[in-house]
Amino acid sequence: MRRALRRLGWSVFVVWAVVSLAFAVNNLVPGDPARMVAGVQARPADVERIRVQLGLDRPPLVQYGLFWKRLVHVGPRVVDAAKDPAHASCAVVVGLGDSALHVDLGRSYQRRQPVVDLILTRLPRTFALAVAGIFLQLLFGLTTGVLAAWRRGSWIDRALVGTSLLGVSAPTFLIALALQYVLAYWLRWLPLDGFGKTLGDHARCIVLPALTLGVYGAAYYTRLVRDEMAGLLEQDWIRTARAKGLSPARVLVVHGLRNALVPVVTSVGLDFGALMGGAIVTEKVFRWPGIGELAVGGMLDRDGPVILACVVVSAAFIVASNLLADAVHTRLDPRMRARA
Amino acid sequence: MRSIRTKLEPLTGVLVTAAVALLALPLGCSTGLRAPGPAASVDGAPPRRGGTLRLASVFDVRNLDPAGPSDGLTMQAQLLLFDGLVDFDRDGHVVPNLAEKWEVSDEGRTYRFTLRAGVRMHDGAELTADDVRRSIERALHPTTPSSVASFYEGLAGYSAYAGGTAPHLDGTVEGRYVVTFRLEQPDAAFLALLGLPAMRPVCASAGDRYVDTWQPCGSGPFELEPGGWQHGTSLRVVRHEGYFRPGLPHLDAVEWSFGVWPVPQRFRFEDGDLDLLLNATQADVGRFMADARWKGLGVNFFDNTIWGEAMNTRIPPFDNVEIRRAVAAEIDRNEYAMIKPSQMSPLTQLLPRGVPGYDPSFQGQVHDEAAALEHMRRAGYPYDPATGKGGWPAPIVYTVSDVSVGAYASQILQQALARIGLHLELRLVSYPAYLAITQRAGASAMHPQGNQGDYADPSTFFEPLFTTGAIRSEGCSNTAFYSNPIYDDIVTRARRATSDDVRRALYHTANEILRDDAPWAFTYGQHDFVMRQPYVKGFHAHPVWPFDVREVWLDRGDALPAPLTGGLR
Repeated sequence: MRRALRRLGWSVFVVWAVVSLAFAVNNLVPGDPARMVAGVQARPADVERIRVQLGLDRPPLVQYGLFWKRLVHVGPRVVDAAKDPAHASCAVVVGLGDSALHVDLGRSYQRRQPVVDLILTRLPRTFALAVAGIFLQLLFGLTTGVLAAWRRGSWIDRALVGTSLLGVSAPTFLIALALQYVLAYWLRWLPLDGFGKTLGDHARCIVLPALTLGVYGAAYYTRLVRDEMAGLLEQDWIRTARAKGLSPARVLVVHGLRNALVPVVTSVGLDFGALMGGAIVTEKVFRWPGIGELAVGGMLDRDGPVILACVVVSAAFIVASNLLADAVHTRLDPRMRARA
Repeated sequence: MRSIRTKLEPLTGVLVTAAVALLALPLGCSTGLRAPGPAASVDGAPPRRGGTLRLASVFDVRNLDPAGPSDGLTMQAQLLLFDGLVDFDRDGHVVPNLAEKWEVSDEGRTYRFTLRAGVRMHDGAELTADDVRRSIERALHPTTPSSVASFYEGLAGYSAYAGGTAPHLDGTVEGRYVVTFRLEQPDAAFLALLGLPAMRPVCASAGDRYVDTWQPCGSGPFELEPGGWQHGTSLRVVRHEGYFRPGLPHLDAVEWSFGVWPVPQRFRFEDGDLDLLLNATQADVGRFMADARWKGLGVNFFDNTIWGEAMNTRIPPFDNVEIRRAVAAEIDRNEYAMIKPSQMSPLTQLLPRGVPGYDPSFQGQVHDEAAALEHMRRAGYPYDPATGKGGWPAPIVYTVSDVSVGAYASQILQQALARIGLHLELRLVSYPAYLAITQRAGASAMHPQGNQGDYADPSTFFEPLFTTGAIRSEGCSNTAFYSNPIYDDIVTRARRATSDDVRRALYHTANEILRDDAPWAFTYGQHDFVMRQPYVKGFHAHPVWPFDVREVWLDRGDALPAPLTGGLR
């Protein structure tokens, strides 16, 4: 219990540190958010008016304090944006009698909407893409990794390792463009990009971005599983298992793969958290309206509330998925259980 | 036993071949363009009603409320929904629109507009003079996040209204159809300013004050379909059946996708899923122009943006006018235009083609290396190209955004200036950082600067870029920090002159001063280049509006193909 609380406290500290760093960087690097809202050629008087309207005329430390003060606070149970503009950008999380716990990530300078609404709309889309991407990465990566380890030294091994090298080296946008060209433009099997309106549309639209993430990540898992298993398959206990007459498939999957999964789980934890922060290039190329696409726009426009919100989400998911990976790690590896 | 290297060689060959093939596919090296969708009738046929025009853009529309923050693409979308009291004809002249006429009196200080009777807004209400006044006061209210409110500071009563001490602007409403505006000083650009979207009447539902949640409603040729705007993704507008111009628009709807990269745009256009290709890469333009089936379907617009190399007149060596002249003389503007010939043209003077007052016969800055070397000598820094000796002794920091054409142009400039003894050190920064640095006093010696005309008048170029009044310590639009009282006086008089001939002569003189003082070395003008499908008719270049679809009609000769998108474009 103490260990869990310590981990939780450490996780909160990590999120705070990352968000504070993002705030500092966003304020220190040159660039004027009010100018970005008003436009490149806007006159100083118009830029100044917009600066005041956005609260950017306050000192950065005051803005920083306000951000944390507003992030989680207690407010009215029901928010009427028209009558209560102070809580217009809040999301009510949980009721507390007549009051409620609010989360407020501010309003987007550019989109002029509550950031919490933008995040809540986009989070499920990014979650779906992250899950689909990780699923394909594991499907391709584990299959080819096991195959390469099983046929180590053969032409199959060399072909798979060589192809994985290509996958790891190719930039995501190139994979995305190649898939778009072949599967959408040439063969016309799938939509080129977009999100769609119906569930069927969404399912068709997610294939190409998920495949892009799948191809890119699978290459890494192929090499990871192949190298891990190659070492494991040399171990005495694997030899013992074979000597006991277990089938090759059982030796490979139950004894080999299960033990090779320990580093894979750690990697999946990190990857999933990072993807929840937004698969930035993939979402942008495929116009998949998730967190990554929002983050890119926020960064280009110096949209502070959007940047901070994306950092909060990304940091929180990376921390959470690492905690989860640790738990699964402990479950898979008896030595970790004993240590815990 | 063969070495590992020998064993891997065949595999490496296969992998390299596969990689090259993969790289070649998206570039289209091995495939030709698909045939364009046919038109049903020959050119000259009368327009037909119906159809949806489908477009895509790399960028996003930020706001549909004309009172809100705006930019180029946002303004294009607003033009679909809102009409103004005045408009611009195909020669760029101001013409009546919602106002059927106007009278100017009091030596150019009073404008009295008479509205057309029977103009219907999208909500069915008739447009009245009260709507005009309410819309303008809403746009200029101090709580409105307008990007252009200060353009109208010449309106009588603006200061008090913008300062929150007066409830209304000066001006009167007479009856149902007459509205009068008064100006503090005569302003020759007032009618052009009135044509901007910010001044366009909005429905009563907009109220007196700007709110972010208002559903856009105006009197333009199209109206917003409920739920038709997905921020960052798409916009769909449908024909306003009560539009005041009989028979227009021809189209049933316009659908616009946002955030679509140029290569996917080309895929979709070629596949018949887009009717216009707005953001083609230069490589794709070359492919289209080389294909007989597509050649002739490109539409070249007027230059609406100018670019130049801004030299900070307060920072050495550019505090020396001869050095600035040397730069202006050394630059070969044709080299710049070769970066993207479909959208760039050499620029030798401040005003681009398409802006009223542009004089094609004006003798602007020209490339002349001998003259450039002579200017270096006169500056006191002679340079000998044969020995490489002489010139300005220290490197000059050149600040440029890392995602613009300027990043390529900077290399041309670097090589050119090295030939006269000026050595540039390129500093590539993000776009927001580029803006912050170049608009700060004393922070950048030299950088590229562009300016897109905010309204159809020469003052939009002459005033913000070079007048003393535009100089600020931060957020400065006069990034050369150029100050010349004679120039200031000429530009002010030109703004207040009521005679076109007088204005033309004054701006001609101002242009000569800029050419000779060279706070900028003018480099290139930029314009849009649009590919259209053969069945898109009535699409033409407009000198003021980058995108005018009121008279566009579709003449499709085949069935629509299945879309390449997921349904939501």
